[in-house]
Amino acid sequence: MDTRLEKALDISNYMVTLNNQKRLLKEKYKENLVHYYNGGQFTVKQELISFCQSLSALSQTETILIDDNDIPVEIENLTDFLTNIIDTYVQASNAFLVDYNKLKTNRSVESIMDI
Amino acid sequence: MTKGVVLFASNNGVTNYIKQAKFCADRIKQYLNLPVTLITNQDIEKKYDYWMNRFDKVIRMPKLMQNQNQKRYFDGDLSNKILLFNNGSRAWAYKLSPYDETIVMDTDYILSNDSFLQCFEGASDFSIYNNATHIGIHDGTTEFQRISDTSIDFYWATIFFFRRTPLNKIFFDLIKHIEENYMHYRNVYQFSTPLFRNDFAFSIAIHIMNGYQTGEFANKMPGKKYYSIDKDICLEINNGNIKLLTQKENRLGEYTAVNISDCNLHIMNKFSLERCIDNQ
Repeated sequence: MDTRLEKALDISNYMVTLNNQKRLLKEKYKENLVHYYNGGQFTVKQELISFCQSLSALSQTETILIDDNDIPVEIENLTDFLTNIIDTYVQASNAFLVDYNKLKTNRSVESIMDI
Repeated sequence: MTKGVVLFASNNGVTNYIKQAKFCADRIKQYLNLPVTLITNQDIEKKYDYWMNRFDKVIRMPKLMQNQNQKRYFDGDLSNKILLFNNGSRAWAYKLSPYDETIVMDTDYILSNDSFLQCFEGASDFSIYNNATHIGIHDGTTEFQRISDTSIDFYWATIFFFRRTPLNKIFFDLIKHIEENYMHYRNVYQFSTPLFRNDFAFSIAIHIMNGYQTGEFANKMPGKKYYSIDKDICLEINNGNIKLLTQKENRLGEYTAVNISDCNLHIMNKFSLERCIDNQ
């Protein structure tokens, strides 16, 4: 095979592997963003954090939130809930950053497989 | 309330599902710390007495639920065998489970985190996945979205959670009825395969329980379900880290390397799974 093509195909193969790994990392990040509370399931997004923070700033101590399955869930202690969802968000985002940085420094299929 | 996991295992002369069940049970203990009951057609006390301590209870499968079929099993893109498989209805899980709250799992489901513990905290009495993520770059497999192009949503009977409630008894009895009248439901729900599939029976039963429409009878299982098909090859399972080759679409015999960690994975290639278990 022409060496020019051979080198390009090696890169092509590497890019497919890299893109797939990035996709799987993002899926794992979404999974790690889920916070379970009082039988409900909440995907922690910036909007949820901001909304809870706004309620808290208005001196609300409890509230009702609609979870991922459209079920209303009573939040009995808003301050604790807010602390926990921020913790979930920070941990998931940190793990995503660490995994992503590991991935991008690996320049071959073999090294990606050895992470 | 008693809690536990139920596994089904029926050897077919080539694939050793008891070995898979032992491996699966070890991971259930590691990640969920729950008791495991094995339902099998094998005389495990005689043949596999050295694995008996891995299971909290072993139940011999009633003859009635042994439903043998033939199926083509792939081992990667280029190799396959036609083998017998016993896909006796999972509906028996309700009758046979010794627990009030049960997770039923296929033995080729490799746990790598504890997300399923949330089932026991949730309000839902019946949870099951209706979507899953393939580990490969081509994620457009319609086979696992609907039971046929013109039919209803697909649900995975690979893993589900149920509580012992009167409503769930009706549901599991309905699955038995669907199994007994499978050809009728095949015509009504317009799918081509005459082979009994638990996934299809569950999908139909959920559709009926929801009043013949999309509804909320079944909630989604916690966490994400990842899967690899039998044309993908599992290379290594090292604690929470799994290395695989996934088949490239429309490129016979070509694969993409995949490294996945801390995610629960359904490995459909039984041959490569068994090789990985042997290498532990």
